Amino acid sequence: KMAAAGSLRRAGWRLWRGRAAVRCQLSPPQRALRASAVLRRVSDEQKEPFASSSQQQFDSHPTDHQPGQEPHGPRPSYTGQGGQESEDYESEEQLQHRILTAALEFVPEHGWTAEAIAEGAKTLGLSVAAAGMFCSDGSELILHFVSQCNTKLSELMEQEQKLVQLGEAEKKPTDQFLRDAVEARLRMLIPYIEKWPQALSILLLPRNIPSGLNLLTSMIDDIWHYAGDQSTDFNWYTRRAVLTGIYNTTELVMMQDSSPDFEDTWRFLENRVADAMSMRDTASQVQSTGEAVVQGLMGAAVTVSKAESSQVVR
Amino acid sequence: AAAGLCRCCALLRHRGALRPLCGSVRGLAAGPEMHFGFQTVTEEERREKINQVFESVAKKYDIMNDSMTLGIHRVWKDIFMHKMNPTPGTLLLDVAGGTGDIAFRFINYVRSARELQLQRRLRHHQDLSWQEIAESYQEDKSSSLGDSQVVVCDINKEMLKVGKQKAQHLGYSEGLSWVLGNAEELPFDDEKFDVYTIAFGIRNVTRIDLALEEAFRVLKPGGRFLCLEFSQVSNPLLSRLYDLYSFQVIPVLGEVIAGDWKSYQYLVESIRRFPPQEELKAMIEDAGFSKVDYQNLNWGIVAIHSGFKL
Repeated sequence: KMAAAGSLRRAGWRLWRGRAAVRCQLSPPQRALRASAVLRRVSDEQKEPFASSSQQQFDSHPTDHQPGQEPHGPRPSYTGQGGQESEDYESEEQLQHRILTAALEFVPEHGWTAEAIAEGAKTLGLSVAAAGMFCSDGSELILHFVSQCNTKLSELMEQEQKLVQLGEAEKKPTDQFLRDAVEARLRMLIPYIEKWPQALSILLLPRNIPSGLNLLTSMIDDIWHYAGDQSTDFNWYTRRAVLTGIYNTTELVMMQDSSPDFEDTWRFLENRVADAMSMRDTASQVQSTGEAVVQGLMGAAVTVSKAESSQVVR
Repeated sequence: AAAGLCRCCALLRHRGALRPLCGSVRGLAAGPEMHFGFQTVTEEERREKINQVFESVAKKYDIMNDSMTLGIHRVWKDIFMHKMNPTPGTLLLDVAGGTGDIAFRFINYVRSARELQLQRRLRHHQDLSWQEIAESYQEDKSSSLGDSQVVVCDINKEMLKVGKQKAQHLGYSEGLSWVLGNAEELPFDDEKFDVYTIAFGIRNVTRIDLALEEAFRVLKPGGRFLCLEFSQVSNPLLSRLYDLYSFQVIPVLGEVIAGDWKSYQYLVESIRRFPPQEELKAMIEDAGFSKVDYQNLNWGIVAIHSGFKL
């Protein structure tokens, strides 16, 4: 009796759902090709070699559904078939980037937290549980933001360089260039300035230090590159160290600056860059003195060795 | 006496021989061979036996959990909840959720997350005018849970009954609902839930692949599948101790506390028969989930598997 009731109930559910008949036809190999709900098609062109009637009866999921589009390409996963990876669809990484970018607009309200990521995922039509893909302390969101800002800065400097090459703008002197670059980069923090101290403290967590440091050094490298730094000697290190120091201290000053449009910060920046420029002159003086000292020592060593060898010969 | 024993043995052996014969005749109708603990049964028989097991253990389920795991199962479930890290507004489906442990933890977690959220909003509001603050109070006053909800689904009526009683006793009423249903065929529409959890239940499901497919079906795009289950211990020394404890101590506890040796014998055997971490991970991927990963707790005694519907 129970079996009969069970089977009736099951039949009822099947009718009600309406797709079960379709699903029953699926065999395991075909299931692996089922269209992803969320990962978008990047290109339409590649024809679907496995399109079967059972697949076409699948509902296209509402998110990112473009009407009139042919279903559906192979799903990019590590269980995917024959190496057809992420050709048609965006990869999971790209989806993660999209979610993090969308999450940035909720940071002023929620801070650098999983909640902001959840809200971001919601705007993309995903469930709030998608925030579980990222660290719960928000470090991935912060790193994503920093990396985005660095990219933007590079693009700005690239554009400026192009203008200079085309002759439409004058090449700036180094100190002016550095000041403008650091100011442009720090201005990108302004919308998030209230929550930025929180971000800085998260970036200082031991597990985030390598990536944070990486991003910082590559940004500094970029700035010096566009400033026209061609050095291949020890100068390369000193320049990076100096600019990193300038950037970090200016950032900290900006955190507790309450002047209109952060005037005090830019003035501080100007002073620091000027200091660095004058230090460079001093440094080159120190260097030439150092070279003289080294040469003197070398001469002394040569004299001593010659004296010794002449003694041995005798 | 010896002759009598021999006759009993012969009879038992006979019955043993008969059973597979009957099984094969019935087998054509009742389905393929499956495991029930260390026995081999048909699908139908397995469902029936598991049903009986949980009917008999339902009342003592929580006490037995505490005594068998020395209370550590609470820590496991807490870690599970932290891994989920639900934000207010999440819709959770807890399958095989029986006595409601996961559901209650979810409600607590979301409630405190919601309080933090409201506090943060108030702090944010300190720059606003009185008018704006009053307006925001109008919006917020409804939900202490922030519209989060949990649906507890279980195949066994007794377990649900115990769960409802517990909820009443502990004072959980808001955002909680109880549904009778089979994990292999959930009575829910597609794409309804944000998170699907199954804690210490997937081991008892007869067709795990069907349950995983159902999980995929009812989850929204971006939704998360979480599974907390006993798994395989890789460390050989620990494995020996664990086996010793499982087979010598647990059934005895079952007999002493719940008066039911066989159900706890089944429990221990079913843990041994359950696929190991990597195999379960592969099954979850086959069902369509992405970013599938697992985390071992207590060196593999328990594992949390997680996957996303992307």
